[in-house]
Amino acid sequence: MDIVFYVAAAIAVLTTVRVISHTNPVHALLYLIVSLLAVAVVFFSMGANFAGALEIIVYAGAIMVLFVFVVMMLNLGGEEIRQERQWLSPSLWIGPGIISALLLIAMVYGINSLQHGAIHYHMLGGKSVGVSLFGPYVLAVELASLLLLAGLVVAFHVGRDKTKLDSMEEEA
Amino acid sequence: MSISIQQLAAFSPLLIVDLSVIVVMLAIAWRRCHKMTAGLSIIGLIAAILSLFFVSGDIPAHLTSLLQVDGFTLFYSALVLIAGLATCIFGYSWLKEHQDNKDEFYLLVLISTGGAILLACANHIATLFLGIELVSLPLFGLVGYVFQQKPSLEASIKYMLLSAGASAFMLFGMALLYADTGTLSFAGIASGLGQSMDQQPLLLVGIGMLLVGICFKLSLAPFHLWTPDVYQGAPAPVATFLATSSKIAIFAVLVRIFIEAPLIDLPSVKLVLSVIAIASILFGNFMAVSQTNIKRLLGYSSIAHLGYLLIVLVAIKDRQLAIETTGVYLVGYLFASLGSFGAVSLLSSPNRGQDVEEISDYRGLFKRRPLIAVVMSLMMLSLAGIPMTLGFIGKFYVLAVAMQGSLWWLSAAVVVGSAIGLYYYLRVAVSVFLPSLNGHVAEVVETSSLSIKAGALVLLVSAAIVVILGVYPQPLIDCVQFAKPW
Repeated sequence: MDIVFYVAAAIAVLTTVRVISHTNPVHALLYLIVSLLAVAVVFFSMGANFAGALEIIVYAGAIMVLFVFVVMMLNLGGEEIRQERQWLSPSLWIGPGIISALLLIAMVYGINSLQHGAIHYHMLGGKSVGVSLFGPYVLAVELASLLLLAGLVVAFHVGRDKTKLDSMEEEA
Repeated sequence: MSISIQQLAAFSPLLIVDLSVIVVMLAIAWRRCHKMTAGLSIIGLIAAILSLFFVSGDIPAHLTSLLQVDGFTLFYSALVLIAGLATCIFGYSWLKEHQDNKDEFYLLVLISTGGAILLACANHIATLFLGIELVSLPLFGLVGYVFQQKPSLEASIKYMLLSAGASAFMLFGMALLYADTGTLSFAGIASGLGQSMDQQPLLLVGIGMLLVGICFKLSLAPFHLWTPDVYQGAPAPVATFLATSSKIAIFAVLVRIFIEAPLIDLPSVKLVLSVIAIASILFGNFMAVSQTNIKRLLGYSSIAHLGYLLIVLVAIKDRQLAIETTGVYLVGYLFASLGSFGAVSLLSSPNRGQDVEEISDYRGLFKRRPLIAVVMSLMMLSLAGIPMTLGFIGKFYVLAVAMQGSLWWLSAAVVVGSAIGLYYYLRVAVSVFLPSLNGHVAEVVETSSLSIKAGALVLLVSAAIVVILGVYPQPLIDCVQFAKPW
């Protein structure tokens, strides 16, 4: 399973780099989907089947498809690609890049210091996830639903179609 | 695992606030009525405050491994509930002339207050993260509530993007902590720290990332760049909430982590926190001097105040004194912020374009609105730490903590910061008594309505508390000594 893990992880890193560096939004999103699928494979390779399946269904399946549709409908291209290329000039990313590289070095050093640092395959099915979600963490689940409610209210308030609402009020 | 009624009863403040979220939501679904929504929210918050007295007999209590209630929880829950209540009252008079939907404001304030109470209960990393997100996600919507105005929308987008980045850092830090210690409870991390701390670089990286996220939410110095813009763009009642509830709750949970886990024994953490504290104090005060916009000025001043408070964490070895200082300082900060932002919001209305926020607009206020003018200048004196106000007692405590821990650099920073602070706070305090410049000021002139009177009452109460506790702080000190997390 080690080989699967490393191959999938390498694909995830490389495709994520392409997400950032690509100038065409649709291509960048397709790379992002591949990256999410690769992360799902990483989960599977460690036995976290439930998390892997969720990653595919929720992220790669639902959210990213929505993203791709919206971006395709906006019909970006031409002007945006030129602007993206401008934003990718080295003077903009070299500073943050160096700082992130330092952070990466610190983290790699930290992870190397772990004594129990092997990749274990440990099967974790949906049942055990469900038992802990609705056992000790049941309050966290409830509170997360409140978080979703907050997100929904904010999205509704900021994103609703103002003109349509006004005409509805007039009819009423 | 079963949860008994007695256990749940100890968490009634949190449950009451969450229940009123649902009641308010259903009431909005039934009928949009500004008065009813505001009334229900205010009743919910008052009920939650009253429930604190009944709960105080059942402490300490635990609910699963995620939450606990003790004196510390109750004290900080009370502070955030007061902040939420004041925000709803200021919000009512501010929103009255708003042309768009008004009801979501209260819903979001309630959810955010619930998150802040959750933070006061947290003793687990999962609740810490949920609490921080529950506090900040509604704030995205509140900051951009009048998104028809460009600055409000801009502030909302800035806050959302940067906050999401900070949350990503925090989550990664939590993952690293989990990778190293194998547990997510504060106590478990503390025992993980106990064993040979120098041999655990991963733990240090995790703690560092966690601190980055929390310092961002507290707008401490290298992570403060969003603060003035967001304070300026946010509607005045929301700025009140942003400056009080979210900061108090997040600082409270930070104090709990530092008391539970001996993080300050790590020399690197101590050094980093000291540098952040000094940078926040100096930077916040220096930048505030040149501001002409009162919301930006208060934004920079909040950076400096959180910097003063951070000294408590560096000197947390003396637990009793540290807890007392945090409590006294935060009470002073809460009421001074409620008073000053409340005054801005009572004078402003979304219908008249931007809020009344230029310092020059406040000239001649004493003639036009004597009460608001007096409260405003009193609050400025308290923020500056003039004797006879609660701000002085708080600053005195901070200096005492710094001296007790022989933190000379930090004490020097407090003194220098207070000296600079005196200049800009007094400038505002004096300007309300100066004759007004010629020119029309777009402030609300109506004074007779009930909502304005309720807002003025909140101002009066804040001013009274700041002065009375500033002269006779013993009741507050007794109350704070009860607020122990052990």
